[in-house]
Amino acid sequence: MKNFDYLEPKTIAEACALLRQHGAEARVFAGGAQLTILMKQGLYQPKTLINIKKIPELRGIIFDSKTGLVIGALVTHRELETSKLVKDKFPILCEAEREVANIRVRNVGTIGGNLASGEALTDLSQIFIALDGQVKITGPAGSRDLLVEELFVDFYQTSLAEDELLTHVLIPPMPPRSGIAYIRFSSSSTVDKPSVGVCVRVTLERGNENARSVRVVLGCVGPTPVRARKAEALLAEKSIVPELIEEAGASAAQECNPSSDLRGSEHYKRGIVRALVKRALIQARERALRN
Amino acid sequence: MKKTISLTVNGMERSVEIEPRTTLLEMVREQLGLTGAKLGCDIQVCGACTLLLNGKPVSACSVLAVDADGCEVLTIEGLSQKDSLHPLQEAFMEFGALQCGYCTSGFILTAKALLDECPRPSEQEIKDYLAGNFCRCGCYQEIVQAVKNVAGPHLFSPPRAGEDEGGGSSRKE
Repeated sequence: MKNFDYLEPKTIAEACALLRQHGAEARVFAGGAQLTILMKQGLYQPKTLINIKKIPELRGIIFDSKTGLVIGALVTHRELETSKLVKDKFPILCEAEREVANIRVRNVGTIGGNLASGEALTDLSQIFIALDGQVKITGPAGSRDLLVEELFVDFYQTSLAEDELLTHVLIPPMPPRSGIAYIRFSSSSTVDKPSVGVCVRVTLERGNENARSVRVVLGCVGPTPVRARKAEALLAEKSIVPELIEEAGASAAQECNPSSDLRGSEHYKRGIVRALVKRALIQARERALRN
Repeated sequence: MKKTISLTVNGMERSVEIEPRTTLLEMVREQLGLTGAKLGCDIQVCGACTLLLNGKPVSACSVLAVDADGCEVLTIEGLSQKDSLHPLQEAFMEFGALQCGYCTSGFILTAKALLDECPRPSEQEIKDYLAGNFCRCGCYQEIVQAVKNVAGPHLFSPPRAGEDEGGGSSRKE
């Protein structure tokens, strides 16, 4: 690993000022779960490392029945997994976290770092997108909220500016009569990054069993997580019957851009997408009926 | 360029001068001479470098030492008391839960963190918690048995050759 200057700002404002000062030569360091590895491999060679772990505002998880869940950027995977509050309000996040990497990565890796790294092979971003989640971003000029969906630009690229810091993840409460399901598929070991990860949220009409809105989010099958908008449109305002589920699965399999790699060929991954979308749709619908 | 950090290692306060790029593993092995933790995959997959940082297992190969400033570190060397081994160490010997031993310090520390967090884990909980530690000799069954035995000795009896079957050992089911 190349040497670097190491800084520990104590506030968000101080961190943004440092980022502005050092520009592209600086990297934000949170848990370091991924960054340390990329630095050891020489893929990133920052001149300055800005450790944001000493900023208390970035910690903690809170819930408000109107605004929903607010997750501080420094919350670790393990904290999310074991949070009673999260288990109570969004159990899907705890379920998914149990399968993220291994216990050591979950102990250090942060939610903010996971998103801000732009890593394509993740689990959480699909779920955040299906929940219409946003990220709070702070820069020298102030704060803005951005849909998680719009954060991702390309492999390891996000729409964060050089002097901006992702500070929180905001998840609105799910509408009534909603159900959500996340299914990940690993082609080698269970602790590997997912080959495909699919999240589906179904919100039903109040008076009948038709879908009011559906989110179908596909992860790991392209440079960024994507919504299968055609599949979503097929399902909107319809009764989710088996033929429609088939159609949505087939559509989603064409609405992604998987690459052939050690976790499966393109063809194989499209097949997995199709199967998982169908399964997740059925699960999400069942859960929506119970809610 | 160098920075001095203060941390507690195996209960002793230490002050160490390091470069920011030094990993926690490099620091404990090369500067503190604690070589129980091993370098394996170097990408947080195998678990050979596991240390407990504030009681939680981490991959020391990918933690910056500078980021452990002010923390408590436990290495395998800090687990035994003077002449007596930790019950997990005893159980690993008893059950033959190692062959080459490269992964062992990582497994034992991870198992310790599990038992501190959840003193009576189910077999599935043990397997889930240890899923990120690899043993290339393939001693997984024995490792799970050893941890199970420490977690609930009443539940389990080790395979002991030539033992008197009627001995009424407390380990018998």
